[in-house]
Amino acid sequence: MRDVDGVLLIALISLAAGFSINRFSTRPLPLVYQTPEQRFDAELTSLVAAPPFALPPAPTIGFPEFRTAVEKKSALIFDARPAPFFIQGHVPGALNLARDDFAHDYQRLSAVLKAASDKPIIVYCSGGVCHDSRLVANALLTLGFSDVRVFTGGWEVWSAAGLPVSWGAVR
Amino acid sequence: MGSVVGGRATRLVGGRTVMSPDTRTHNYLVPAIAAALAALFIYAGAGKVRDPLQIADANAAFAILPATVINMLALSLPVFEIACGLLLLVPQTRKIGTLAVALSSLIFFAALLSALVRGLTLDCGCFGSGAPSRPRMWLELDLDVVLFSSSLFAYCRLLGRDNNVTLSASGSPSRIGA
Repeated sequence: MRDVDGVLLIALISLAAGFSINRFSTRPLPLVYQTPEQRFDAELTSLVAAPPFALPPAPTIGFPEFRTAVEKKSALIFDARPAPFFIQGHVPGALNLARDDFAHDYQRLSAVLKAASDKPIIVYCSGGVCHDSRLVANALLTLGFSDVRVFTGGWEVWSAAGLPVSWGAVR
Repeated sequence: MGSVVGGRATRLVGGRTVMSPDTRTHNYLVPAIAAALAALFIYAGAGKVRDPLQIADANAAFAILPATVINMLALSLPVFEIACGLLLLVPQTRKIGTLAVALSSLIFFAALLSALVRGLTLDCGCFGSGAPSRPRMWLELDLDVVLFSSSLFAYCRLLGRDNNVTLSASGSPSRIGA
């Protein structure tokens, strides 16, 4: 019995040592296991959780350039606003890659993103002082997309210009 | 005049204790088994300690443990294996080391067999990461049998030696410790 006690003691010491090593690790494991899918979700979510003041300036485009891209369908257009706003009205041809549900939307649109990997990407949000487009654009840049720009005028400028709009379900 | 050393016969020749060749083999057998097991366990533990996340994924693939235990095991298992290896190298702690290896091999065997029976194809993460493969799972199951039997054999030999020492200390006339 003494030997079994010894083995149990070694197991307990190993557990304590394992936790200590983890504590000082550069990438510590959380207490509860997460599947690779859950980790990917968390990683994607963290990409769009940066405080706006910490964001590097994302490349931007003006209204004429954006309008040309929409009309010629020469770029992938992403609407970074939450789904209910997208459903109420969005730029024709735009896809909803919402900042607040980025992990889910990114995975939903992964096939589209992969198929159009050579196309430029333009992201917009409400306009004015909204940060969602910058957060999404920076997340896409981090994920390896090289040509990502932000249309700072956003939905506010597009809808005020009296240009065609689309509405309806999230695509 | 004869006696028993580690369960084997010895005799006195010219005032010196001479052991039979069989006894000498057994005296080297347990340290040799312990050294081999130690090398294997330290190698396995060192391979795992660098990337506990992969071990956690490998543990999860067995679909046996709850999420709250998987990471705990992934963090402690590499340290436990290295500790077993070190215990096996030191004669005074070898017995606990062999028992620890025997028990852990039994657990690995049961987990692997259960995965094979359930039709799972996985990488057990026994020696770092690799591609999931059923033939490899069978191979690792065989390895667990070898580990279990050799460590149990060594443990029983060491247990026998301890009993001999106890008997000798209590004044048994014909058995002395190895």
